[in-house]
Amino acid sequence: MVQQLTTGERQNALVILLAVFVVGVAMAAAGGSDPLGVHGVIVLLFGGGLGALVMRSYYEPEPTLDRPSHYYDDPIKAGIALTLAWAIFGMFMGVWTAAQLAWPDLAFDAGWSTFGRLRPTHTTGVIFGFGGNALIATSFHVVQRTSRARLAGQVSPWFVLLGFNLFCILAVTGYFMGVTQSKEYAEAEWYADLWLVVVWVTYFVLFLRTIARRKEPHIYVANWYYMAFIVVVAILHIVNNLALPVSLGQAKSYTIWAGVQDSMVQWWYGHNAVAFFLTAGFLAMLYYYLPVRAQRPIFSYRLSILSFWGITFFYMWAGSHHLHYTALPHWVQNLGMTFSVMLLVPSWASAGNALLTLNGAWQKVRDDATLRFIFVAVVFYGLSTFEGSFLAIRPVNALSHYTDWTVGHVHAGALGWVAFITFGSIYTLVPSLWKRERMFSPVLVEVHFWLAVAGTLIYVFAMWNSGILQGLMWRTYTQEGTLAYSFLDSLVAMYPYYIARAFGGLLFLLGAIVAAYNIWMTVRAVPASIDRRTDVPDTGLAPGAAATPAE
Amino acid sequence: MAELFHRKLERTAIGFVIAIIAAASVGGLVEIAPLFTIKQTVEEAPDMRVYTPLELAGRNIYIREGCYACHSQMIRTLRDEVERYGPYSLAVESKYDRPMLWGSKRTGPDLARVGGKYSDFWHVAHLTNPRDVVPESNMPAYRFLARTALDTDDLGRHLQAQRALGVPYTDAMIANAAGDAFGQAAPDSPFAAGVTERYGEKTQVSAFDGVATQLTEMDALVAYLQVLGRLTDAPYSNTAAPEQAPDPTN
Amino acid sequence: MDIDHNTLVGFAKSWGLFYFIGFSVCVVIYAFWPANRKKFDDAKRSILSKDDRPWQ
Repeated sequence: MVQQLTTGERQNALVILLAVFVVGVAMAAAGGSDPLGVHGVIVLLFGGGLGALVMRSYYEPEPTLDRPSHYYDDPIKAGIALTLAWAIFGMFMGVWTAAQLAWPDLAFDAGWSTFGRLRPTHTTGVIFGFGGNALIATSFHVVQRTSRARLAGQVSPWFVLLGFNLFCILAVTGYFMGVTQSKEYAEAEWYADLWLVVVWVTYFVLFLRTIARRKEPHIYVANWYYMAFIVVVAILHIVNNLALPVSLGQAKSYTIWAGVQDSMVQWWYGHNAVAFFLTAGFLAMLYYYLPVRAQRPIFSYRLSILSFWGITFFYMWAGSHHLHYTALPHWVQNLGMTFSVMLLVPSWASAGNALLTLNGAWQKVRDDATLRFIFVAVVFYGLSTFEGSFLAIRPVNALSHYTDWTVGHVHAGALGWVAFITFGSIYTLVPSLWKRERMFSPVLVEVHFWLAVAGTLIYVFAMWNSGILQGLMWRTYTQEGTLAYSFLDSLVAMYPYYIARAFGGLLFLLGAIVAAYNIWMTVRAVPASIDRRTDVPDTGLAPGAAATPAE
Repeated sequence: MAELFHRKLERTAIGFVIAIIAAASVGGLVEIAPLFTIKQTVEEAPDMRVYTPLELAGRNIYIREGCYACHSQMIRTLRDEVERYGPYSLAVESKYDRPMLWGSKRTGPDLARVGGKYSDFWHVAHLTNPRDVVPESNMPAYRFLARTALDTDDLGRHLQAQRALGVPYTDAMIANAAGDAFGQAAPDSPFAAGVTERYGEKTQVSAFDGVATQLTEMDALVAYLQVLGRLTDAPYSNTAAPEQAPDPTN
Repeated sequence: MDIDHNTLVGFAKSWGLFYFIGFSVCVVIYAFWPANRKKFDDAKRSILSKDDRPWQ
């Protein structure tokens, strides 16, 4: 890692880490016994630890002069490792919280282990930890390959990747301590939010400068999606998190938005986080890794452009469908509903485009589990965007809102679409990045695939059932015109589904663990090509020359 | 020449970013901008009061524990919700709420009008172990609230931050924040009178967790739960009929 | 002049729509502009070429 940096760059890295360390000390001093102080300690350990790591390799030889003629893959490799670590953490927290709903005593007699505090560790762990790291890692890969240019920075990719992970760590450790803004999917407090802005601006500049360096005249469409993801997430993040801290020594802050405005801002953020974090970024993966894996160009490039602008434009309007029949003005609700329904057009254009790309290569989908991951992702993308538009219709929403149906819908998207496309991309990326012919064990990819499919289906069907049942029980009237069921009746009816859901989630977690093992073994395994090369009579080639296969 | 070519590329990349911002920001602006003038259309509620320091502290505990993940505070304009939970929620009721806690999921029931529905004692028993009161419940137990002393030192600063954002706390409220928090949970103490003086006669002053000598987080949370839906009477005088959800049975 | 709620809502409803139509027209023109066809075809095939070094 450090070997790739020149002495000057190592010094820059040390200066940045020193600054992080100093900020950590300042936070610890100002915060004292407040959670902010604990976070100060975490920040200073993070900065100090990484600084020590750089120092250890400080005097190692500098990189060779031909560095610019190689792609910069080290941060991508680290990003994949972090993706898998967060996947296992986030999914484990998901299984635990799911189990708590079925068996509420699965908690310790302390605040940190209650459902309310664990739930954001799950959502942040999977959305930002797993999804975010996957997006950063793949975006670094895709932008370099499609631009045929090396990343426009040596230290900044590391800053983006590790800085983002520091944000995730601050967020998750904060939730355990009860530090939260109670804004869904934006729970982290003001100082973590500020830090993310710094990281994100660096990410934006790095990405833009890399694109500006490109040797291809046209910017490939996958980069459009990554760009939209980076730009819009920045806007959303800043607007939604505007807040006034109680004092500079305290973690607690009050958002500048109140009541109705806050509800609209939060769901404008919340829905567009789905759009630009969980959709646009992962569509970028789709538009690169699907053609590469299938070895077929995308069916229609024009269609991908049309759906890009459709998604970028329409999604922004849809947030208010989370607030049907509430105190939000009626016209805003209708606007949100209308655009949510229209959103189906660009969404299905993307899904159709992907399926038509595979058309004619179905035997590949049958034989190759990795391509099957991508295929299933597309199917679930089509399904959950349809479901999303459907649920945004006011009368349907009257039934589904506040129930597990929403949870089922989210997981059809998060498991079926986001996680499947991520694993499909990672299985495509890992062998090429580490110069291996294939994954360590294709059988384990197959095992992972079926665990993930079974887990997703069990989860989603359990939540569809429980959600619709719940919604119907809440609104069922007796002959006499009174409500037929108490709230408790509906809760009792949920228990079998909560158990099934925890089981489905467990299968999915097991799949992720299998994936991590398989990838670890792929990385560790000595490439067969090197074996063969060292196994032939000496041709005068230095042994080290084989370590960097020239392709 | 090469330099010029490079500039052009950079320009297209930046132009592209601007196009994304243009496409993406309109939706948000159109929906959010009018909400800044919404005061003109929102119903007035002159009797609406602010949260007392103790209730605000309780609200912050509600936030800290992530209660919003399972409980909504937004009764929709649907007949079954109004019959189950009470008059539907009005925009004005959450005008001091930062953040709003409308929620998105009901693993447990809505709490928008839970204030006054159960006794303080019921809440304490329920929070201590929900299954002692409701055997089928899957809510976590919050025993630790009763053994954690409430931190009142910085409540004045909390009120001040709220005022900076536009919540009408007076100087007297800020100056007496800690005392008022104590007084609201200690009816016999000299501090109790100040609470009703500053926050109104209707403010509930009682030993929420049953112990008047020590102020715990349990006091604060119960005080908050007991004021939910009771900051104003406006929803009860609202005469608009709720919308009727399509009834699947007829 | 005081901007009241109804003006703002009216503006949002009408100009939002015009903006939307104008935007879609621009996108469609861009996507189907004949001169762009070659660019798009190159782009969709270029990612499949096998080289693993940045172009100098």
